[in-house]
Amino acid sequence: MKRRQGWLFFIIFLLTLSVYLLINYPLQLGLDLQGGSQLTLQIIKEEGKVTRDELEAVNSVIDKRVNNLGVSESNLQTLGGDQLILELPGEQNPLVASRVLGKTALLEFRTQKEGTSTDLKTLQLQRLSIKELIEQYSFEDKNQNNDNFLKVIQDDLKDIEQELNYSSTSNYLYGKLIEIKKYVDKEITNLFIKTDLSGKDLINAGRRQEQTNSNWEVLLTFSNSGGEKFAEITKSIAGTNQLLAIILDGESISEASVGNQFASTGITGGSATISGNFSAENARELEVQLKGGSLPLPIEIVETNTIGALLGSKNILKSLYAAISGLIFVGIFMIFNYRILGFVSVLSLVLYGFFNLALYSLIPVTLTLPGISGLILSIGMAVDANILIFERIREELYDGNTLIRSIDSGFQRANSSIVDGHITTLLSCFVLFLLGTNFVKGFAATLGIGVLISLFTSLNCSKTILRFFTTYQSLRKKNLYLPKNNFSN
Amino acid sequence: MKYNLELIKNKRKIISFSTFLILLSLLGILYSTFNTSYKKPINLGMDFVGGNELRIERVCEEECSNLSPDSVLENLREISSNKNFINNIKLQFQNKNKLISIRTPYLSIEESNNLITNLDNIIGPLNYESKDSRLIGPKLGKRLLTNCVTSLLVSLFAISLYITIRFDKKYALFALLALFHDLLIVFGIFSWLGIILSVEVNSLFAVSLLTIAGYSVNDTVVIFDRIRENLKSKEEGYNETIQLSVNESFRRTTFTSITTLIPLLSIILFGSYSLFWFSLALSLGIIVGSYSSILLAPSLLLKD
Repeated sequence: MKRRQGWLFFIIFLLTLSVYLLINYPLQLGLDLQGGSQLTLQIIKEEGKVTRDELEAVNSVIDKRVNNLGVSESNLQTLGGDQLILELPGEQNPLVASRVLGKTALLEFRTQKEGTSTDLKTLQLQRLSIKELIEQYSFEDKNQNNDNFLKVIQDDLKDIEQELNYSSTSNYLYGKLIEIKKYVDKEITNLFIKTDLSGKDLINAGRRQEQTNSNWEVLLTFSNSGGEKFAEITKSIAGTNQLLAIILDGESISEASVGNQFASTGITGGSATISGNFSAENARELEVQLKGGSLPLPIEIVETNTIGALLGSKNILKSLYAAISGLIFVGIFMIFNYRILGFVSVLSLVLYGFFNLALYSLIPVTLTLPGISGLILSIGMAVDANILIFERIREELYDGNTLIRSIDSGFQRANSSIVDGHITTLLSCFVLFLLGTNFVKGFAATLGIGVLISLFTSLNCSKTILRFFTTYQSLRKKNLYLPKNNFSN
Repeated sequence: MKYNLELIKNKRKIISFSTFLILLSLLGILYSTFNTSYKKPINLGMDFVGGNELRIERVCEEECSNLSPDSVLENLREISSNKNFINNIKLQFQNKNKLISIRTPYLSIEESNNLITNLDNIIGPLNYESKDSRLIGPKLGKRLLTNCVTSLLVSLFAISLYITIRFDKKYALFALLALFHDLLIVFGIFSWLGIILSVEVNSLFAVSLLTIAGYSVNDTVVIFDRIRENLKSKEEGYNETIQLSVNESFRRTTFTSITTLIPLLSIILFGSYSLFWFSLALSLGIIVGSYSSILLAPSLLLKD
């Protein structure tokens, strides 16, 4: 008896601790409950597996970019060895994040090949006209079915294609325009020779508005060795008609000449500016990308989930209704069938609920919709253990054993079945957790934790509460444990 | 209240009934594989094939005006630059014209935002707070599918291994037979649902199959435990002891199923729409699982 009293105090202590934890460490809600966006980024590697180091490197670059973007309360984690998951809570548009994160941001400095001036000039003109066509196409009010206008664009595009001696393969107009632009960009890049200066030589990037107009420019600050390389390169082409190109992900974003006055030393001072007609937004995006460095491997955004805040709070409410009504009806069912025993199981279910939630805030487990369904489902499993025990107790009572004896042997004899059942469920949870996606992991985590806790509540808590009840003489009548009409059996 | 299921008498009927259910499931799976547009054993949802799913509510003063999906699509077609996806778009109004749900092939975030802006122009204003948008790339879809199938296989293997170690061979074999029976029937039901109501399965369906597996084995193990215990202690014949054990555990098994079904039912009734089919699959699995644990698995143990 003494030992049980100790347990009773221990359970009350745990309950108090759980309440304390829940008040001080609120539960973390997943995006489907609080609203927000979730992006899954896939690392692309042509051959072989992504190594741990590569994953770390990509992770740190993305992390820097996210921080520099100034997204509040974002959360970045790796998944399954070659994926990253970025969560943006609240009403933050995932579009900007996707534009900034998805680019490799490989910055190169290249010098022009000798004798390619005329080629470059033609290509630059073609690039300009294709850009204009794309702009026209994007801003045209397509509500007015302006066939004439589309035809003009198509004709212009054809002219450019003829000049380039290249024909696009895309099926629709917009795709064609983009394809041609990429082709022109590639041709331009091909006119330049690689140097040993790259984005790796940067130590900082910034932006400012140009003095003469409303455009923005991006400032680059080189490391010491980078500054020397930059001086060397500019010195080699100063005063010639060769240009210096700054190339980002294979696309030249700026081509500039180096004046004759730099012929003896090159451009020193360890910094450079890129002024390529940037809007404020574009300049900021480039700044963030350069600050974070280039990605060691390209990434692709393979999944985007966005949930509005209103829908999130509706989901919480719905889950709450489901959980509470589930609990109430299970409680009614148990009390109806098992009388006092049923009441005991309801009490241990309440304990079960508190312990579960407290563990979620302690570990912490982020609650999502599948997670909640795992929790609700585990209510059923927690009750299962009680049912197994109570059925045994009933049998012992029918056989004419005393109440205390029946209770003891009931718990004892149901033990092995309960443990077996829990192990098979835990096996499933374990596999789900290892192999599942983020979505599935939530379910596996809550179900698994639930199953573990229910071992404690149904075996230990139920027993302790029952023992406590039976210390009162008035609660020891057998008909409180068995429905009367069955008792005659 | 003693239960008296006449297992020995009805062995043939039980086994025929299960065989019938299995054949029906196989028929659904075959029909689905060869005679549907998707040519798969089951109608795979967006999780596995990739795509874009958007649900958003309209802001209406009182009642939302009645709009035909076709006319909305016609408007969309006119103002969208990417004709490619417009041809493969599925659009539905739900909840008294308030809720719009749209399925398209995979779109980039940019294209998806354009789509929403265009929609806002046609049927707006829209309530962005109620937005639920999911974009899944086709590559990820394939990966999710492999992931789910591997999870299922690995966990079935682990459960089989555990059962084989825990029981002797005969028990293990029949417990596993009952398990595959349950999974096959639930799978078959969803094949049929896909054929008749175009219900799609997503990764949560795989989760429900896994959970059913754990649950069904658990149920069978409890009854087999009882049989084993009784065979050691009781004087009656082999078949009679099995029947007795089943009747002794009958209350427990049905009660457990009921207490698990109650929370699931409340998710179906009150929970979020995204959990509806998941809870239904689980409920079906639990019903079939209880049947196979109480009637099928012990019947297989009976000697002729």
